[in-house]
Amino acid sequence: MAPNNTDAMNRRTLLTYAGSAAAAVTVAGCTGDGNGGNGNGGNGNGGNGNGGNGDDGNGNGDDGNGNGDDEPFEVGVTMGQMDSGLDPQDHAETNTEIIVGQVYEGLLDRDKVGGIIEGLATDWERGDGNSVVFTLRETNFHNGDPLTAEDVKFSIERIVFEDVSIASPQSNDLGSVEEVEAGDGEVTVTFSGFNPIAFQLFATNGEIMQQSWVEENSRDYINQNTNGTGPFQVTEYDSGNEVIYEPYSDYWDGEPEVDELTMTSSSESSTRVNRLLAEETDIVTNVPPNEVSRVEESDVATINSVPSARIIFLQMRYDVEPFSSQQFRQAMNYAVDVESIVENVLNGFGEITSQPTLPEHVGYNPDLDPYPYDPDEAERLVEESGHAGVEITLETPIGRYLRDVEIAQAAANQIDQLSNVSCELEQREFSSLVQDITTGDIEDKPHFNLLGWGNGEFDGSQTIVPLMTTGGALTILENEELDQLMTDAENATDSDERVEILQEANELAHELAPWVFLHQQFSVYGVSNEIEWEPRSDEFIDPDTATRQ
Amino acid sequence: MSFGRFVFTRSLQGLGVIWGVITVVFALRFVTPGDPINAVAPLDATQETRRAIAAELGLDQPLYIQYGQYLFDLMVGDMGFSYIRGQEVTGLVFARVPATVELAVTATIVAIALSIPLGVISATRRNEPVDYGATLFSLAGISTPNFWLGIMMILILAVEFGIFHTSGRGTDFGDVVISVVGPEPFISTLASWLKYITLPSIALGTYFMALITRLTRSGMLDELGKAYVTASRAKGIPETLVRYKHVLRNTLIPVITVLGLQLGTLIGGAVITEAVFSWPGLGTLVIQSINLRDWPVLQGSLIVIGTSFVLVNILVDTVYAYLDPQVVYD
Repeated sequence: MAPNNTDAMNRRTLLTYAGSAAAAVTVAGCTGDGNGGNGNGGNGNGGNGNGGNGDDGNGNGDDGNGNGDDEPFEVGVTMGQMDSGLDPQDHAETNTEIIVGQVYEGLLDRDKVGGIIEGLATDWERGDGNSVVFTLRETNFHNGDPLTAEDVKFSIERIVFEDVSIASPQSNDLGSVEEVEAGDGEVTVTFSGFNPIAFQLFATNGEIMQQSWVEENSRDYINQNTNGTGPFQVTEYDSGNEVIYEPYSDYWDGEPEVDELTMTSSSESSTRVNRLLAEETDIVTNVPPNEVSRVEESDVATINSVPSARIIFLQMRYDVEPFSSQQFRQAMNYAVDVESIVENVLNGFGEITSQPTLPEHVGYNPDLDPYPYDPDEAERLVEESGHAGVEITLETPIGRYLRDVEIAQAAANQIDQLSNVSCELEQREFSSLVQDITTGDIEDKPHFNLLGWGNGEFDGSQTIVPLMTTGGALTILENEELDQLMTDAENATDSDERVEILQEANELAHELAPWVFLHQQFSVYGVSNEIEWEPRSDEFIDPDTATRQ
Repeated sequence: MSFGRFVFTRSLQGLGVIWGVITVVFALRFVTPGDPINAVAPLDATQETRRAIAAELGLDQPLYIQYGQYLFDLMVGDMGFSYIRGQEVTGLVFARVPATVELAVTATIVAIALSIPLGVISATRRNEPVDYGATLFSLAGISTPNFWLGIMMILILAVEFGIFHTSGRGTDFGDVVISVVGPEPFISTLASWLKYITLPSIALGTYFMALITRLTRSGMLDELGKAYVTASRAKGIPETLVRYKHVLRNTLIPVITVLGLQLGTLIGGAVITEAVFSWPGLGTLVIQSINLRDWPVLQGSLIVIGTSFVLVNILVDTVYAYLDPQVVYD
């Protein structure tokens, strides 16, 4: 039955109201986000006494850099992923470290090439027994309160001990700390053993927070607001989207030249490059090799690369056939043409390795040459090992490291080309693969897989111990001689003697060949021609060192 | 069945679907490979550290307790706590809703504004060049992946010509509204908003635009062949009036249905578009949460997306039943 006139009128009225309501909801919805985002930043900075800069939340995309000194010097950084919260002691990823590291500092720091320099400590030395002593700098947190020895003690304990505030994923990063004592302007940290790399550990890890600020605020608040001592302080925090900073005018090392810093992200590498080429940002991370020429050919940006602290390799488990044979493992090293992989897959952005320790790290053995590409020698060694005709599978994570799948494909293909070995490739989601790799029991680990390892401490032991010694968290090797060398290195009090031991360990690791030694990954950045900035080898980004071009 | 009862029944069914969504999303966590601890703990973390982190994440509780607690918390509006981000999930998720709604609504408006006139012209000038052009356009729109279209538009219109921004959401629609009364100049704020919203809206709305064009065209052709059109013409009613007052109106009923359903799809289906344009909406949050293996946030995002889809469907069903009395309630 057809509707009567009254019904028809009602429906028209309803449609009119519905249209108006939809428009109102849209407007209200769109307004809500801006308020919410500003609210977060405003709250945090209000608490820190820095809340007056919230009116500029809309201009992040247009951060062209003024050439004249009168114009504000704005720098934008676009990474692949944003932070997982602003608590500097409650994360274990590089991207979060880059974002919180603008605000928080440790007792020691590193220069661009990894050398140890002053941080919040002006002096550091070995104390009695197994202790080290740090003399603290007189400086203030961004909220104006002075840095105290109690704050440093609390921060170290919050990282190391699970019963202090949080179970930090960084709990192993400072070594086996037994006790922390706060003195007058100095802090003494005692380890359970000698810990020859104590200062290396503190130069990379252990950011300092203010005890009262942490205790007075909720975890939710601490993860959305900051109160550090570093060169920048957060003015706006939009979780997972954007962080805006202003320079800290009382910074102990001088106020940075940058007037406003914006950190943002794009998971799409092409979008990051597009942002750079459209002059919407100044530094972009992880430019993939296939995008390099696009940046190089533009007149607005250039590529700036640096060898990173990350090594890429193929792990082979010593306790399963055919990898239980040292000859077979060496054969795999001869079978893979790393030079060709670096040249063709990585466009030259990689350095061939011969040992687990990188050239910039303590303990590197300069006398070792990489295994040459020699398929005939590889086939001969396979025959000698008694595993001719074997079928193996290489497992690789997808998208975790620069061109990981392509590298693994090339390596597996080259091994498969041997007349007496057949090699297949299995691509795995990283989290699933890493679950097998990090299992406590070696028998659950993959037989043959690609992995990358970042060594932010710049010390060879931090790679060899976890990955190659008995009891190491990710070990695929048990060798008494190597274990003994690493124990000797751990107990060596003379640094020259320790370096010699580590070099010997690297030589042994080269011979034992538990890995197919691939390459040192490069950090590849696109940098705007408007700024002058040099990248660091530890993957951290330090815009406080950027200057106008 | 009365109209009120129809609405009540559909709402109950909707609640059932939402409960299903929540349960499936909760269960996904346990059938997906990989442990969330791996995203939080460093590779060389000891088993003791991993256990301590698992306890903090609440992963050491029995499954039924985790499920029951989750349902109860949801009922009081608490989506849980993201231990990976150290923040409340509810705040994180709802902060992203406005960006996604803004993009979905704008994409829909762009799509409708272009598709209906195109569909009408295409139908009324059947088998003429303009019809072929519209057909080709809609075929291309349906066949083109929106991420590819997005990347191409960024390359040409943003990088090459600098007309639009490549990505991000520097200015939102709320800023435009505020600028009407606030100190910011309205025109420049509007222009800034358009520079951000235009490309993602077109990328997201193109498929929808092509679909509605086809739907309008075929609907118009159906209606134009009916007896009441011949009668109207015989009565001497002008052709424009016949087409737009009578034929188009009748064509629009199925269009409204598809429109409602597509709006729900756009809210959930903007993941790829948001990734390409770094649009800070729910889609980007979903990707970030997958990368971080941040299950509480991922669950919250999926529940909001699923719920909004269900709600839009219920609304469309209800409006449709009300507008077209021929729809049988039972």
